[in-house]
Amino acid sequence: MAEESTKPAYTKPLPDLRPEGDKFWEGMREHKLLLPAFPDGTPFWYPRAYAPGTMEPVQWVESKGEGEVYTYSIHYFGPSKAYKGDPPHVVALIDLDEGVRMMTNIVKDEAPDFPSIDPEAVSIGMRVKVVFHDATDEITLPKFTPA
Amino acid sequence: MSEATPDVAEARRMLKKGIVIAGVGETEQGKLPGKGSFELLADATKITLDDAGLELKDVDGLVTAFSFVESTLMHSTTFADYVGMAPGYFASIAVGGATAPLMAVQAAMAIDAGLAEVVLCVRGDNTRSGISSSGMIAMAREMSHGAFEAPYGLTTIGGYGLLAQRYMYEHDVPQEALAAVVATQSEHAALKWNAMLRDVVTIEDVMNDRWIATPFHGMDCSLVSDGSAAFIVTTADRAKSMKPKPVYITGIGEGYSHQYISEAEGVDGVRQGLGRAGRRAMEVAGVTPQDLDVAEIYDSFSFTPLIALEGFGICGKGEAGDWVLEGNAKLGSTLPMNTHGGLIRQAHLGAMHHIIEAALQLRGEADDSNRGGGNHQVPDAKLAITNGSGGILAATSALVLSSEPPSAA
Repeated sequence: MAEESTKPAYTKPLPDLRPEGDKFWEGMREHKLLLPAFPDGTPFWYPRAYAPGTMEPVQWVESKGEGEVYTYSIHYFGPSKAYKGDPPHVVALIDLDEGVRMMTNIVKDEAPDFPSIDPEAVSIGMRVKVVFHDATDEITLPKFTPA
Repeated sequence: MSEATPDVAEARRMLKKGIVIAGVGETEQGKLPGKGSFELLADATKITLDDAGLELKDVDGLVTAFSFVESTLMHSTTFADYVGMAPGYFASIAVGGATAPLMAVQAAMAIDAGLAEVVLCVRGDNTRSGISSSGMIAMAREMSHGAFEAPYGLTTIGGYGLLAQRYMYEHDVPQEALAAVVATQSEHAALKWNAMLRDVVTIEDVMNDRWIATPFHGMDCSLVSDGSAAFIVTTADRAKSMKPKPVYITGIGEGYSHQYISEAEGVDGVRQGLGRAGRRAMEVAGVTPQDLDVAEIYDSFSFTPLIALEGFGICGKGEAGDWVLEGNAKLGSTLPMNTHGGLIRQAHLGAMHHIIEAALQLRGEADDSNRGGGNHQVPDAKLAITNGSGGILAATSALVLSSEPPSAA
C-alpha cells in the first residue's frame, strides 16, 4: 500500500468496463495479453459476447504480445485536458503475430510511467512488443515498445 | 460480413415516380451565439419554405437529425412542437455525417409509401457556441470504442489520421496531396456567401500550419460551426406548382465497412465499403463517373474525399491525390469538387450543405455575386454526386442528383 500512495494519480481516460471485457482485464492484471477467439481458436478483436458473424461462444487464447505497426498517428492534442502540456502521444494500430489488429500507444520504455516514444522513432512496419502499464489497481493497459 | 444484394430495380422503381428536391435553404454559418439549436432549425425552415413558395401547413412530413447540444430522444417531434406543425410522418435520423443523404432517402421512401407528400428535411445545431468542453470530450469518445480505443487518447482527428497515414504509405501519396484538397476548396469557399473561411490558401500555407494529429495540420480539419440548413423532398407532380426548378434524386446508395477504426479491414476494405454507396447510387441512376458534372464529396478531413473519389470509381486506387494536385477538382476543370468550400472551409453541418450546393448547381443558382460572394456555378451542370460519411468512414450514404428525370430502365 505504501507503494500505491507514492504513485501519481492516473488522469488519462480509463476503459468503460463491461462484462464482455472482464476476462481481458483479468488477464491484464496478471500481465497476460488474452485475446478472444472463435471456437477453432483463431483470435479476433475486440472482446464481445459472441464470436462475430458466428453467434458462437467466445474462447480465449494468450498472445505472445509481439507484432508490427500497421499504422499510427502522432497526436499533438489529446481528447481531454489531462493531455495538456504533455509531449505528443502516439496512437497506433498493431498487427499482432496471431493475426489480430488492436489499438494501443507506442511508448519509449516502461519507466517511469511509460513515456511516449519519440515520434521520429516510429514507422509503419516496425516490430513491437507488449508492455503492461499498471494504470490503477484495477486497470492494466497493454502498450507497445520497439521489439 | 456478407453484403446484402442491392435491389437496384426497386430503387429505380421508386425514383422513377419522380422524387425531387424542391426548395433549399441555409442560414449564416459560423459563430452565432444568439441562436439556440431549435431556433436555428426554425430559421432554415423559414428560408426553405420561402424558397419553395410553401407555407408551414403545406408540409406533411418531417425528417430531422439530432443535436449535440439539446438532448432529446424524439428530435423530430420536439421540433414539430417547437415550430407548430403536426406532420403525418416524422423521423429522426442519426448516423453521424451520413445523416443528411439518409434524410433524403427516408423522405423519398415515405413519399413512395404514401405516408407524406411534402417532406421537410432539416438539420442544424449551435455546435460551436452551445457545446461545453465536457461535451466535446464526450463527442470524441463517441467515435472511439469505450474500452479498447478511448484509453489510448484517440481523437476523432487521429482516428482518421490512422487510416490516412496507412493510405499515404500504401500508395506513396505526398502530404501535398492533402493540402491540395484544402487549397482547392479554399478557392471555392471564397465565392460562397456564407463560408466561414473566405481567404484563399496555398499548399504551402496548409503544410506550414500547426500539426493536430499526423498527417493532419490544422487546416486539414473540418470546422466547428453554428448554423442550419434544410431541403424539401416531394414529388415531381407536386413540385410543378412550386417555385424552384426541381432537382431529381436519380440514385441512392449506402455502404458500411466497420464501426470502430480498429475493426476496419485496411485501406481497401474502407474504400470498398464507403465506395459501395457511390457506386450503387450511380448504378441506380444508370450513370458512370464520366457523366458527372459536379461532385460534392464529404470532407471531414482533407484525406476524406480522396478515398471516396477512389471508392466511387471516379479515380483509380491511390490516384486521387495526384488527380487533385493536377487541378482536376477545381472550378472550371474536369470535375469541380466541393464548390461551396465543404466542411473544411464553409461550415460543418454533416452533408447538408453538400446536398444543397449540389441542388443549387443543378438549378443553375450557384452564383452568389449578389449576396457578397462570387460565381461558383459550374456551367450547364446537369448531374451531381454527393455523399456523407458517419464515424471514421464507417457508414456512407450517397445520392445522384439530376436536373432531368431518371432515365435508367
